Amino acid sequence: MRAAGPNAALGEAGFTWLSLKSGLGARRDNGLFSFLLVCIAVVAALTVTGLLILAVGKSPMAAYSALVRGVFGTTARFAFALNKSTPYILAGVGVALCFRAKLINIGAEGQIAVGGIAATWIGLNLEAAPSALIIAMALAAGAAGGAAWSALAAIIWLKRHVHEVLCTLLLNFVGVLLVSEALHGEMGEPGAGFPQSALLGRSAWLPRLLPGTDLHLGFLMAVLAVIGGYLLLWRTTFGFRLRLLGASRRAATYAGIAEPRCALAVMTLAGALAGLAGAIEVLGVHYRLIEGFSAGFGFNAVAVALIASINPIGVLPAGLFFGCLEAGALAMQRELGVPSSLVFVIQGLTMVLVLCVMGLSPRGRRV
Amino acid sequence: MEYVGFMDIAAAAVRIAIPLLFAALGALVSERAGTFAVGIEGMMLAGAFGGAIAVLMTTSLLIGLVVAAASGAVVGGTVGIATAKFRADQMVTGLAVNILVLGLTSFLLRALFGGRAPVIRLATLGTWPIPFLADLPILGPILFRQPGLVYVGLLLTALLSVFLAKTRTGLMLRAVGDGPEAAFAVGADPGMVRIAATVVGGALAGLGGAVLSLQEVGTFTDGMTNGRGFIALAAIIIGRWTPFGVLSGCLLFGAVTALELRAQAWGLPLSSYVIQMLPYIAALVLLAGIGRSARMPAAIGIPFVRH
Repeated sequence: MRAAGPNAALGEAGFTWLSLKSGLGARRDNGLFSFLLVCIAVVAALTVTGLLILAVGKSPMAAYSALVRGVFGTTARFAFALNKSTPYILAGVGVALCFRAKLINIGAEGQIAVGGIAATWIGLNLEAAPSALIIAMALAAGAAGGAAWSALAAIIWLKRHVHEVLCTLLLNFVGVLLVSEALHGEMGEPGAGFPQSALLGRSAWLPRLLPGTDLHLGFLMAVLAVIGGYLLLWRTTFGFRLRLLGASRRAATYAGIAEPRCALAVMTLAGALAGLAGAIEVLGVHYRLIEGFSAGFGFNAVAVALIASINPIGVLPAGLFFGCLEAGALAMQRELGVPSSLVFVIQGLTMVLVLCVMGLSPRGRRV
Repeated sequence: MEYVGFMDIAAAAVRIAIPLLFAALGALVSERAGTFAVGIEGMMLAGAFGGAIAVLMTTSLLIGLVVAAASGAVVGGTVGIATAKFRADQMVTGLAVNILVLGLTSFLLRALFGGRAPVIRLATLGTWPIPFLADLPILGPILFRQPGLVYVGLLLTALLSVFLAKTRTGLMLRAVGDGPEAAFAVGADPGMVRIAATVVGGALAGLGGAVLSLQEVGTFTDGMTNGRGFIALAAIIIGRWTPFGVLSGCLLFGAVTALELRAQAWGLPLSSYVIQMLPYIAALVLLAGIGRSARMPAAIGIPFVRH
């Protein structure tokens, strides 16, 4: 019960060296081309959305220029957009690596939620320690929490053969409810009126990168994760195994690659990145745990990984695009009253179009 | 547990299971023809929205149901065309459509009412007791003193069962899901069959959404399906891809939710959030208990390519 690839379509027996090669080497020869296709998909999605804006009696040009101003208008706004992109990029790298091995991990939302709980717990209980130590511990706890949550899904999938989409998805609901449970229990701030934890001590806050803006250290970590993911995929044996698994399960088994071990490893890695993103949201954006802080992040991570053409390096522009879109849409809503939920329409449309293009191109069907 | 309490919970379980049942039967049609129905959540949400808005504007329940089915069918058709004609990955297309519908319904809800989400209050459908049957002991209160769409759902289960097992079209649908090459060899067009199945499946899921917005809640709110589509997918696996199996899977989740709603009244020492996790945990545990299922349509997820 796995997503079909070129080889599955031929029947696993029909894999050829050629199809294998195109699956493994689709790096440089495909990069510019798929970037162009994604751009066309984005433009098409923006056009359809523009018609929607027109249909409700607003000017698409005014709406989109408000959107652009909302992102690039001031340094502070751009910093806000970069912060918005951070969790999508971090979780997106993990999802892209999973995709590469033909694993559909949509559990980032739950992993981010659990990572956020773990980081908050450290932040609230370790107040006396030096700042660097608190932050390092909290980030590590977040990554560990996310990794554990993801590994749980992977183990249920591997041991009991429940499809990974359902495992990761059902655990999302549980993870998000765990945040509510924590906030209505001992972690909650009494009398706050909203389910949230107490404010973390200043020493637990992530350092700012640019003075005068909100841009935090997390964005730098996201960029590093992109580079790390790229090197892992293209420069290590583990990356080769992932690519081979994605290109052909049969060939991978023939080459002596243990599928379960590889799958568990990449899922755990993706969970750690998502958990790290959750910790960064807590330490760098909200400075506390808030109910529903991870809402929608999991699907965004999938969208980002997909639009990145499943290449970690592409996750950076794709994540920035989504982060900017969201930040800009908030400005658009403020200025013109165009509902910011349009972002989901743009995302969904872009994804469907990209999927159709990838499905049609003979070598592109790698999800 | 006293008798009245039990009857009450059993009747609630049936009522809660019905939106799931419509969605799961829709997903079943789509999956038996070979297309994963991950987008069922979006189709349900589209139906819930279409139904609620249509009833709000026309006050006609019938028009509401038709619009709900049509909304779901459009979303289903989108998935069908993208996956069958363009060979887009089924799982991710489903997820993309879910996001798309979430955004579109939320946008339209505000756009149609001048930029602000309105407070929609619709009268929920009352119960239609069936004469004679409603007076039966035990079965009467559980099955025959329910709102109208409950009966429709149960009837649909039986009809779908007959359709899949006994009719030529049903056989063709299953053939396309199990071996599209063979179906193609005897003259079927697997791509068109799959698209038709996702359209019909979308319409049924749309009705499921309407059951939710018109019969259960009486309003529409952003993302109100809240994972029910995914629970419906779990119900299909538990029900081994047969209509009556799916019905029992849905009843099981209905029972868990009905218990969940009453657990607090009994003063159980569990927080409401832990109780809300129960359906999802139950789904995971059940799926894990079942393990690998041999009943899954053999060619599901694999695009048909004519050589």
